[in-house]
Amino acid sequence: MADKLVAGKHLRYILNLMAEKKKESFESVVMDHLRMNGAYWGLTTLALLDKLGSVSEDEVVSWVMTCQHESGGFAGNTGHDPHVLYTLSAVQILALFDKLNILDVEKVSNYIAGLQNEDGSFSGDIWGEVDTRFSYIAICCLSILKCLDKINVKKAVDYIVSCKNLDGGFGCSPGAESHAGQIFCCVGALAITGNLHRVDKDLLGWWLCERQDYESGGLNGRPEKLPDVCYSWWVLSSLIMIDRVHWIEKAKLVKFILDSQDMDNGGISDRPSYTVDIFHTYFGVAGLSLLEYPGVKTIDPAYALPVHVINRILFTK
Amino acid sequence: MKQGPSSEDDCFSLLKQFEHVLESDPLIDEVGFIHPSQFTMLDKEAGFSNEFQPNNGTSSKFWNQDHKLGISTDILVQLCKDAKHVFLLALQEYKSHGNACDESQIKNISCSPCIPESDVMKHSQSVLLLSSDFGTAWNARKLILSKKDHLSAFTEELRLSGLILSNSPKSESTWSHRRWIIKMISQSFSTLQEIITKESELVESIGERSKMNYRAWYHRCWLVSYMTIEQVIQELNKSKRWAGLHVADSSCFHYRRRLMLKILESLYVKGSSAYDKTEARKIWKEELDWNEELVERYVGREV
Repeated sequence: MADKLVAGKHLRYILNLMAEKKKESFESVVMDHLRMNGAYWGLTTLALLDKLGSVSEDEVVSWVMTCQHESGGFAGNTGHDPHVLYTLSAVQILALFDKLNILDVEKVSNYIAGLQNEDGSFSGDIWGEVDTRFSYIAICCLSILKCLDKINVKKAVDYIVSCKNLDGGFGCSPGAESHAGQIFCCVGALAITGNLHRVDKDLLGWWLCERQDYESGGLNGRPEKLPDVCYSWWVLSSLIMIDRVHWIEKAKLVKFILDSQDMDNGGISDRPSYTVDIFHTYFGVAGLSLLEYPGVKTIDPAYALPVHVINRILFTK
Repeated sequence: MKQGPSSEDDCFSLLKQFEHVLESDPLIDEVGFIHPSQFTMLDKEAGFSNEFQPNNGTSSKFWNQDHKLGISTDILVQLCKDAKHVFLLALQEYKSHGNACDESQIKNISCSPCIPESDVMKHSQSVLLLSSDFGTAWNARKLILSKKDHLSAFTEELRLSGLILSNSPKSESTWSHRRWIIKMISQSFSTLQEIITKESELVESIGERSKMNYRAWYHRCWLVSYMTIEQVIQELNKSKRWAGLHVADSSCFHYRRRLMLKILESLYVKGSSAYDKTEARKIWKEELDWNEELVERYVGREV
């Protein structure tokens, strides 16, 4: 049982992982195609703990740029294929270091805008898979780059709204089952484009607060599933955006996240007593930020970046 | 792979052994990562005793019986690194020389099966069996397949991705690849209905082992738009028993909702008769009555 956030241990855990050059663990080998996402999770966690200065900015930024493809999109690692998933993470990482100015904004924004389909949806890459996650990514990324006018925002919003289900939730495409991760993406996209009035906040708020497990305090992503720390982000940020976060028991959720820490080696796992990974470490700390845990900087629930970073972007130029 | 000095050969010997096992048993239908200590137990279950073990070293790394393949967790990291490295090299080679091959095919010049292309297919298969979400490898296969016009190439792809799903049932890239294959098939060939039926059965069997698998059930819902009404009704009846045994599986009931909505949609199409409407109403009433039964039987699972 934990009663505090062991920030120092998490810092060491993240720095060790980022420095792992030889890649000896199976997890790091199998995950190396999404290293860009991993870097975003690690670096944003450091930023939330006010420790971004612990990494070499030049090293990170130059590695990020080696992942850019000639199409303008970014890949998960050097020499791999581009995809919007990694493009957003790359832009977010540069935003953390206040280095968006090194980007050829035209090139990146054209790559993303080029992936919008006739019906307003977005494909993830040239191979055509459509998912509301990609709608969120496009909107979030172009908003950070201040190029939202490059896409048909109305059609994009209408497509997202067409993915709304009877339970108030959203799925990955029209008619798909409601899922907390997809809900975050749809609500986030609607928030950024100023369309939260298209959400039935009471209905969705009810579905979301039902995700809390009475025993452990943790949140799950769908009915009958086990609680998982990553939903501390997706469910919680959605509730905050629709102004219904007072419908869950915050203290219990804090306890669930803290209990999922590895108190010796650092890192956070999906639930107490399981193996840690960088993904859950980020979502755990981000969740604590949303719960206003002392010592953790504030994170923006829609952009998933520290508020001071978003303010810097929105209030310049 | 190019022949190099012996030290280079040793470096990739694991990969060569792995690819040799795959080539020698093209009917493998299940793959898993297992701890080497379990090899003996598996041998016993298969009815082999220790004396009959071949002594070539492969037996301690790969277990292959009855078309099942086990890969020792001891060698996974090295094997995965090697497979990725070799695949990326082959891909680079293919992209720089691949055009030459296309041209000779267009001009009808006989050229031996393009080495760069077959290398990319061989090595991408290896890497995906170990790391199923490596999108670049799936994309390389799509690139090559989009130039093929025989159905067998696509059905073989369904077999490979099915094999990968046996070990990674939640792999989003794998499900996405299957959808791409089905779209390609629907554009060029007419055997779609049978493929759709088999896809649906695949999801049900995966759903049994991997409960409430969002990716798998989403895939099954996606198939509905390619189904005829007869198939939809068949699906509704066939999956009823399974649903009754898995009342806590919301993905399964979401799928039934999708099927029911498809039936309604069909009524808005020109040419639907009064008989169709009566049938549809009967199906809806039956479903609601059955749902009521389940709610009463399984208190606490009303969601």
